[in-house]
Amino acid sequence: MKKLKSLDNFKLLQERLIANLDKMNPTLVITAGTCGQASGANDVIRVAKREIIARGMTAKIKLRITGCYGFCEAEPSILIEPYGAFYPKVNTDSTEKIINAVANKEVIGYLLYKDPSTGKSIEKMEDIPFFSKQLRTILSYNQKVDPIRVYNYLENGGYAALANVLEKGDPNRVIQDVIASGIRGRGGAGFPTGIKWELLKNQKNGTAKYIVCNADEGDPGAYMDRSVLEGNPHSIIEGMIICAFGTGATNGVIYVRNEYPLAIKHLIIALRQAYDLGFVGENILGTDFSFDLKLVRGAGAFVCGEETALMKSIEGKMGEPRQRPPFPIEKGIWGHPTCINNVETLANIPVIIGKGAENYIKVGVPGNTGTKIFSLVGKIRNTGLVEVPLGTKLKEVIYDIGGGSASKSRIKAVQTGGPSGGCIPAHMFDIPIDYDSLRKVGSIMGSGGMIVMDENTCMVDIARYYMKFLKEESCGKCYTCRKGTQRMYELLDDITKGIATLEHIDLLVELAEVVRDTTMCGLGQTASNPVLSTIKYFREEYIEHITNKRCPAGVCRELVGAPCQAACPVGTEAWRYVAHIANGDYEKAYLAIREYNPFPSICARVCDHKCEERCKLGQTGTDPVAIRALKRFVTDNVDPSVYKPKRSGEKKSDRVAIIGSGPAGLTAAHNLSLIGYQATVFEADHQPGGMLNSCIPEYRLPQNILKKEIEAIFDENVTLKCDTELGKDITIESLFADGYKAVFIGIGAQKGKRLHLDGESSKGVYPSIEFLKAYSQDGEEWAKGRVGVIGGGNSAFDAARTALRQKDVKSVVLLYRRTREEMPAFSEEIEAAIEEGILVETLVTPTKIIRENGNIKGLQCVRNSLGEVDNSGRRSPVLIPGSEYSIELDTLIIAISEQPDTNSINPEGEPEIKLSRDGTLDAEKDTLCCSREGVFAGGDVITGPNTVIDAIAAGKRASVMIDRYLRGEELHQPEQRRTPSVYIPPCTLTEEESEGVCRAEAAKLEVEQRLGSFVEVEKTLVEKEAVNEARRCLRCDLEFTQPKSEEVELVTDKETSI
Amino acid sequence: MINLTINGLAVSVEEGTTLLEAAQSLGFPIPTLCHMEGLTPYGACRLCIVQIGQDEKAKLVTSCTYPAQEGLEVRTASNRVLKARKMIIELLLASCPQSKTIQDIAAKYEVRQQRFKQEYEDCILCGLCVRMCEEQMMAKAIGFRGRGETRSVGTPFDVKSDVCRLCGGCMYVCPVCELRCTYNEPEKAICGACSNLSPPCVEKEPFDDMMCYMDPCVVCEIQK
Repeated sequence: MKKLKSLDNFKLLQERLIANLDKMNPTLVITAGTCGQASGANDVIRVAKREIIARGMTAKIKLRITGCYGFCEAEPSILIEPYGAFYPKVNTDSTEKIINAVANKEVIGYLLYKDPSTGKSIEKMEDIPFFSKQLRTILSYNQKVDPIRVYNYLENGGYAALANVLEKGDPNRVIQDVIASGIRGRGGAGFPTGIKWELLKNQKNGTAKYIVCNADEGDPGAYMDRSVLEGNPHSIIEGMIICAFGTGATNGVIYVRNEYPLAIKHLIIALRQAYDLGFVGENILGTDFSFDLKLVRGAGAFVCGEETALMKSIEGKMGEPRQRPPFPIEKGIWGHPTCINNVETLANIPVIIGKGAENYIKVGVPGNTGTKIFSLVGKIRNTGLVEVPLGTKLKEVIYDIGGGSASKSRIKAVQTGGPSGGCIPAHMFDIPIDYDSLRKVGSIMGSGGMIVMDENTCMVDIARYYMKFLKEESCGKCYTCRKGTQRMYELLDDITKGIATLEHIDLLVELAEVVRDTTMCGLGQTASNPVLSTIKYFREEYIEHITNKRCPAGVCRELVGAPCQAACPVGTEAWRYVAHIANGDYEKAYLAIREYNPFPSICARVCDHKCEERCKLGQTGTDPVAIRALKRFVTDNVDPSVYKPKRSGEKKSDRVAIIGSGPAGLTAAHNLSLIGYQATVFEADHQPGGMLNSCIPEYRLPQNILKKEIEAIFDENVTLKCDTELGKDITIESLFADGYKAVFIGIGAQKGKRLHLDGESSKGVYPSIEFLKAYSQDGEEWAKGRVGVIGGGNSAFDAARTALRQKDVKSVVLLYRRTREEMPAFSEEIEAAIEEGILVETLVTPTKIIRENGNIKGLQCVRNSLGEVDNSGRRSPVLIPGSEYSIELDTLIIAISEQPDTNSINPEGEPEIKLSRDGTLDAEKDTLCCSREGVFAGGDVITGPNTVIDAIAAGKRASVMIDRYLRGEELHQPEQRRTPSVYIPPCTLTEEESEGVCRAEAAKLEVEQRLGSFVEVEKTLVEKEAVNEARRCLRCDLEFTQPKSEEVELVTDKETSI
Repeated sequence: MINLTINGLAVSVEEGTTLLEAAQSLGFPIPTLCHMEGLTPYGACRLCIVQIGQDEKAKLVTSCTYPAQEGLEVRTASNRVLKARKMIIELLLASCPQSKTIQDIAAKYEVRQQRFKQEYEDCILCGLCVRMCEEQMMAKAIGFRGRGETRSVGTPFDVKSDVCRLCGGCMYVCPVCELRCTYNEPEKAICGACSNLSPPCVEKEPFDDMMCYMDPCVVCEIQK
């Protein structure tokens, strides 16, 4: 490389380079930033090089290795320029195929990026939502430039901005341009860059002036500076030279953290090239402007990103902040005036000069101009770097570009600005992202990290995590920062362990406010943000930890114990029976199940298995243990008579009335009977069982299994009275008059909600609950011909699948207004329905029922598209005008939801029992007390349609509360932590066995056999499958239990082993 | 000369004067632990915070390091200052309950309890000793090591320093591990500081002799 001695030389070189650009032949762009290399980009590059050379196509296909340009989720990726085909997650095999295809000018469809919601392939990069919704000013250079080739940068207009300002030769103009552009420091505080530069220019003291590029990016989860440094180091060098020219600075320092080896490597190369070409050094491009630039590596202290600490570190001293004033701009490195800018700010400078301030200011909103890069990480589908104009709404970044939650659980909050930022809850995602709005809601812009959290993230734990980080990274100079962060951590730690009191929260807030007020530097002043913002927006989570000793997200170890057990509403020790199965001890496994749940066989079939959602195995990359299938295996193979109920306490004379014989009522009756009470169960139907009986079709839950478990409930203490309806045969008051001392209402939610469409009363239109009941209880087949089902919940699928099995049915179509992802039904139900031939139509809203002679004839519908994300975190359907269409139907089943029939509870002339606004019965959440003394309620009647296991849990809780009430005890009692206490020796798969083992799926009845038959679809696991499946369990319980025998002594120190 | 107001009183001071010096010259009491005449201001203990500016722009700064500026409005005892100062004292008490200096400050500001986990540390890292050693004794035998919660004062690698002359200056200036409550005449022993520290210091056996040389040390509490 020859040194460029004049501006003309430079222009000639650049023109020649651009003219020689090859625009015809395709280029393979392979991303190989740190993120790309970590996911295997180096192998891909090696294969690509070998293939191209081996085919002798070096002249035909070009290769460009670039830094990361944003889509980290898809790395390593290959982009074909100029066509724009984008292949995500390539490997060595697919690389060969891609090169083959490029040589033949083809596109390989199945390797392309697939839209996760529609499943369709997207051919071009610019059509992928992740890219199309961004404005990639800085990051697009990362895609165009090979960071170690300076000519590549020149080809893309690099250093033209520098030549431009040198040619004009007016430093004032540079500063005026930067002021006019309105750019604010991208490091977080948002001080106007132009003003800062002007201040530096006007400094008179000292013989030298310094400018510093702050590349000490230490926030967990933030890495945009790294990507710019790695992908386009020349842009920063150019920005610094322009800054030096404008401000008259003589020396420049790039302070980059040593943990960025690739960035350092690329910077060193780029700096050498810049010196060689004469962009840096004496007499730059032949002018009389000189500037010296060097690299300083930070030694790994977070606090060195603070400007005064950073200067000390550059001077070679211990990195600790000092009081300002004097500000660095007056007295900085070695006492010289110093201007410190963030990487991203400097990368924007060539853009501002190149485009002109008047064009730059058009992007963004007034006061917050330009684009900003955010690193979107956490529980988000599209992890990566996102560049958007300032003022873009938070939800656009998270849902449109980020693609929403990575899993089924909803996004709860986003943490912006790294450890010193705050958490913004999902319902506030409407705010624009700019410096001032973020500060207003208690967070900061910071360097631009965005950590997305969903329902599996515990906010207390997050605050604790950040506080741990900060207490270790505080320099320790000022007392309130050092001790304050330490004490805040201590308090948070107590809360996550369940040993805190409510006073802890007040003390935390008090302390956090003082720490914010009284510390010296930015680290301490913002250290309180995670605590204050989580307390502000998620106080109930803190309270839940303290009073109920429960971590709703299932994170805090001391409160959760084994996640599967913590997730179960009745507290079943899932780990315990899984462990027994692994050891081949099926009877013990049955006892472990039965101890907590009076309906094991039922739950083994229809439970929504919350335990599996929380299984640690499922969160570590593989599938969770098939706990429900294992329960099914045990209940099918063990005789229930092995369980002998433990009756505690002597027989009591008090009688309790249970209204409704669903799972809630029967569980309450059973448990009350075990404590010694006399329970009478009143049922309006001919037989007990409630929803279990009437609404769950036989192919999911066979009648004989159901009957057996229900019959087992009725012992000498429990009596059943069928055909006794509340409001007609009995009333609450009449029961008390009959001598019952307490009443439990568990009548469920049995009234189908209406669509409120014209013609809903036509013949052939049924609520799903009545349709299912008619079949299961009376054997009546109401469905005829072409059947439509409206809804997306389990009851909709039950109705659809039941209809399909009825004689006169030709076809079944299910209509749902959102997409399949948002369907509340179990995914296995949806899959089974599709297998059986049910047509599932999504994004459809019914608008009118077409009638003829009072009979249904068809349904008019309109298609939807997904609109904006609402407060629940789901996209709400928006009607597409003009997309109306109609379908012909003979039967329509409406399964949109149910509500309790509360009319019967409050007959005239009796004291009223309070209802809540949504039509359910109002009972206190913890004690299940209703407004009338002695009346308790639980299950669907207070929650609306819910799961079987939640109803069982409500029944159990009710029995405890009724017992306390009858004995005159306080109903509110502190909750106990449920951590594993029984030691079961581990029995895991050997290494050979575990190879290739995946989650066991129970076999299913062949589709042909299912149609027209109500034989149970799902089969039991065979023994070998079950044992292997159980042995996959990670045994989270072993952290809490210890072997009883002499093995105890082997564990020498209990303290250290924990 | 620079003109500013402190608690409403106009004062003019020479350039380079700190707010602490200016306030003290007017007789406003400001507690400090890490400040000492003759040593460079350091701003570690944060006790000397004062409020500057007005309304929304008001902020707390350490007066020992903040230079007087033209037109500055300073308040040394606003509610915000006192609230923060009390919390700092509470933090100090929670860590170093046995320091008489801290006890005295606590008594003066009526901090009678602390709500954190009791610790018994013997250093608040005020840095007086480090500066004393460097600036007055010209030895630089000790310095800070580590950061955050592991920060400590000592010689490099904990090896006995060649430059240390055992002058004792570091011990002399220490506000925490100095000889505590050294009075042995009963009437002078009633410092009143113990009374705000009832349980932690008397309960723990290892510390019962650290409280003061009076035994039992609760005597002062009874006499009050």
